[in-house]
Amino acid sequence: MTKHDQSLHPIALQYAQDEKAGKLSRREFMARTTAIGVSVTAAYGLLGLAAPARANAHMQQGGTVRMQMEVRAVKEPRAFDWPQITYVTAGWLEYLVEYNNDGTFQPMLLESWDVNDNATTYVLNVRQGVTWNDGTPFTAQDVARNIAGWCDTTVEGNSMAARFSAIINPETGQALDGAIEVIDDHTVQLNLPAPDITLIAGMSDYPAAITPAGFNPDTMLENPVGTGPYLPETVEVGIKATLVRNENHDWWGYAAGKGAYLDRIEYIDYGTDPSAWVAAAAADEVDIIYETVGDFVDIFNSIGFEESSVASSSTICIRPNQRAEIDGVRPYADKRVRQAIAMAVDNAVCLELGYAGRGEVARNQHVGPMHPAWADVPAMPHDPARALELLQEAGMADFEMDLISIDDDWRKNTTDAVAAQLRDAGFNVKRTVIPGATFWGDWTEYPFSSTDWNHRPIDTQTLGLAYRSGEAWNESGFANAEFDALLAEANAIPDADSRRVVMQRLQEIMTDEGVTLQPYWRTIYRHAKPGFVGWDMNIAYLPHIYKIGIAA
Amino acid sequence: MVSFILRRIGIMVLTALCLTFIVFWLTNLFPNLEKLAKTQGNFRMSDDAVLSYLGNNGYLQPLPVKYGQWLGVLPGYVIAGTDGQMRARCATGGQDIVDAARFCGILQGNWGYSTVFREDAGSIIATRLGLTGKLMFWVMLVMVPGALIIGVMAGMNEGSRTDRSLSTVSILSTATPEYVSGVVFISVFGTATFGMQWFKGTATAAMDDANFENFFLPVLTIALYGMGYIARMTRASMTEVMTAQYIRTARLKGVAFSQIVLRHALRNALIAPFTVIMLQFPFLLNGVVIVETLFNYKGFGWTLVQAASNNDIELLLGVSIVSVFVVLTTQLISDIGYVFLNPRIRIA
Repeated sequence: MTKHDQSLHPIALQYAQDEKAGKLSRREFMARTTAIGVSVTAAYGLLGLAAPARANAHMQQGGTVRMQMEVRAVKEPRAFDWPQITYVTAGWLEYLVEYNNDGTFQPMLLESWDVNDNATTYVLNVRQGVTWNDGTPFTAQDVARNIAGWCDTTVEGNSMAARFSAIINPETGQALDGAIEVIDDHTVQLNLPAPDITLIAGMSDYPAAITPAGFNPDTMLENPVGTGPYLPETVEVGIKATLVRNENHDWWGYAAGKGAYLDRIEYIDYGTDPSAWVAAAAADEVDIIYETVGDFVDIFNSIGFEESSVASSSTICIRPNQRAEIDGVRPYADKRVRQAIAMAVDNAVCLELGYAGRGEVARNQHVGPMHPAWADVPAMPHDPARALELLQEAGMADFEMDLISIDDDWRKNTTDAVAAQLRDAGFNVKRTVIPGATFWGDWTEYPFSSTDWNHRPIDTQTLGLAYRSGEAWNESGFANAEFDALLAEANAIPDADSRRVVMQRLQEIMTDEGVTLQPYWRTIYRHAKPGFVGWDMNIAYLPHIYKIGIAA
Repeated sequence: MVSFILRRIGIMVLTALCLTFIVFWLTNLFPNLEKLAKTQGNFRMSDDAVLSYLGNNGYLQPLPVKYGQWLGVLPGYVIAGTDGQMRARCATGGQDIVDAARFCGILQGNWGYSTVFREDAGSIIATRLGLTGKLMFWVMLVMVPGALIIGVMAGMNEGSRTDRSLSTVSILSTATPEYVSGVVFISVFGTATFGMQWFKGTATAAMDDANFENFFLPVLTIALYGMGYIARMTRASMTEVMTAQYIRTARLKGVAFSQIVLRHALRNALIAPFTVIMLQFPFLLNGVVIVETLFNYKGFGWTLVQAASNNDIELLLGVSIVSVFVVLTTQLISDIGYVFLNPRIRIA
């Protein structure tokens, strides 16, 4: 074990060589080295570069920002299913680690961390001098309690459990004995029975908000105890939410020069129709648009808003559900039917029609070139004639597929493009569009539907969340023992080059089984009125609201 | 008169009972309850978990019993949950079950709890109805005088050029539904496309601070639709009055035309439009559903859409009661007002 402020993790040097040799992109290099505990400055130093300075000299202290965003009901953070919820809760519930667009992991409530050579021991150094806004100090106990909570699989909808499955005892559904060890007031050690490279990335994800002792989600708005600089003033679901500066709390970030420039942040809900957002922007009722999609990118540029874009692994999956039963049969349990669907659809057409070409064509593997260990596995060929043959072989030529999507802009258009191509290939397809308010009621259960998936930093993460047998978010109903075993194997290899061999096989299974249609990777956009800084789109939609300020 | 009003109120209660029972029945169909359980508990609940959630929260009782509890004529349920926790309909917000009231239905003034907004349904309806009231007030202020002026002007001289052109305008405005005129107004006056960005294409800010700029377009959208109809009725009634014997007599006496219209014709001509104006209230309730959604004005119509699309049972029932009340009250007022305006009509 090494301590990173004295000496560097040995793998980091290997990564630096890889980067110089062109085997790693700079973003991949930053993601990998900071995930194993190298500080951002040191990581840039390894490349012979100076860490970019944050431009906070140009900020004004104070002011109000108004952001267009869906205001959803707050609930138990571990069960968060929308990053929008965290834009409200991040005012007072903060994170241990923060993931940035350049691929780095910045310490927040942690001061630093060390990961040993084979990723089985994590030492987390808790930031000193942090207090909860009720005055009690923030300690290693708080970190240990939250990690134990993430491992509690009995909490309904706890998606953190999938991120921390490495230290969960499958029999008790809780953290393994001795896995979370409090060394002293400011040090926590995680002891993993098997290597896992994704824990730091997991801690940065949006459901990983750090909650106080005795946290009760039912009273979290009346009694907002947290470590952050803001407090909720009002949260009216579907209408508006307001955060105001907590004047009675000495936030740790002020001393650390983190910001929290604004006095007040308002989130105003304008529904799901982007043309209403344009009307709101034209009427000068909002300053920032949470996310701009499709043709509206050009429209917002044309009304003089500033654009922030980032190429991400955010994507859409149009997946058949293999467990879905329709009239007593499971139409999508047959591999030939799924392959037929994949063959009938040209992913480039989906990108063009569904997302105005703003992204990269993908290969239905849900792992892409932006991930460290992506392997160059070819896609299933586009062959509508063969697709129909396969469907007929499976005896499903007369079966009417009901393709479901949410009622919005790009998700609906992409799904329409898929349906049109399936029909062109001779499939019998019906389209159902469900309004946003009801769509998410049982999104994992629809027989054949589209879902958007957010960016995740490390290649194995999304595969683990969405395709491992029995996971909460496994919407395709995919259950494959070989896949699960390979995934566990990949999760034990911190070195991306060695992992790529296993990833190759995983991606081949994804392609061959026709698990899902995943036509393209999205470039994601956010727009804001000129005069604001620090509002940039985050690659993973994370709520870095303390960075926003009014330009001086 | 008193017995007439009492009878009308009786009908109102009966209608409200029937309507709420139908809404109650529809929202309590099992697939709707299943959806409710999944949005409330967890998006991926097993079927067993759905059943235990519904059972624990009293949704699986027989329909008439549930309806009786909601009304407040049957005592609220007290159920020992499968998780060993006692739950009572009347014990909300962490109240002890022993302290909770026995009855807590609409008759006790308890409107229930909105599952979407996580708030008391009564207070949601009150706030949202207030906002819609504000919208309606301005709509009436624009629509009624506008319609009457157009109708009277058109009806003064039947067949004249003024009549033809004003009639065309009224027919056009009535024939254009809100969802067409609203979209056209937003794109013409709310964006810079046509160089006429005079107003705001959204009324969200008008909820707190309404001004001419952000409130005019939604008001105009609803008002125009109703205006044409009322104007046509006024015109018909005006032309009829203008052909009456006493008007001809007045003209023969040499009374000035403006005097004839204002002194003699107007009062008689306004009887029919009065009823139509009162009947416009229910139609306005209809119109606000579209216009509030279009302009993102979060009033009563928007609440109805949210409640219906999320199967928010108690909020939807509250909305239904208010709607029945508004429709039948305006009809009552129109009937009574008619008597005062027209002495030939008697109410038994």
